[in-house]
Amino acid sequence: MPPKPHRILLDRVSGYADEAAAYMRRRRAFRRPFARLYHGGGRAEDHAADTELGGELFVAAGRLIELAGRERG
Amino acid sequence: MPDDAATRSVSGDSAEFALAFLAEMSPDLRGAAILDGEGGVLAASGDPQRWREDAAALFAVADRAAGEGVEQIHIGTEQGEVFALRHAGLAAVAVTERFALASLTFFDMRSLLRDLAAGGDGRGKEGAAGAS
Repeated sequence: MPPKPHRILLDRVSGYADEAAAYMRRRRAFRRPFARLYHGGGRAEDHAADTELGGELFVAAGRLIELAGRERG
Repeated sequence: MPDDAATRSVSGDSAEFALAFLAEMSPDLRGAAILDGEGGVLAASGDPQRWREDAAALFAVADRAAGEGVEQIHIGTEQGEVFALRHAGLAAVAVTERFALASLTFFDMRSLLRDLAAGGDGRGKEGAAGAS
């Protein structure tokens, strides 16, 4: 007997949800620190933390994170 | 520090309201500031002087790294994420929890600055109408 139509729909939605959850788990596990700058027009560039300017970007960001954290704490 | 588009002057009250609205819309937000065309703080979630200095330092380094004035900055670290945006002669800087949705955060910040620059209070027409 073929499955009921609503069962097919539920299975498909569950499949998508499982895929999304797995993607989010991988993203949390593997994402590394990054510094991304966007120009007008949508062009973007990444700066690695081990470059001089990249390192300065992380230092500047760290000061802001520390500031916001101190306000909340 | 912000981009050089002409804007009408933004009142501190409007900026404060906009910042509160941003915090309400963004559960991941830890702190934020809105700055005017000269880099002065219009509203901040804490010490305005520190936000002014730290935001100016971030934009200065980013401009140097890019070789020109950048429009958006997104830095993700183990401790949290930093978003900065220049729009309509104003700038906004926000610190969020890790894994905040970048596109949504930038969208909210851009909408807020656009509305402030147009003389609103950051909520846009729909938000203002809904509150009245």
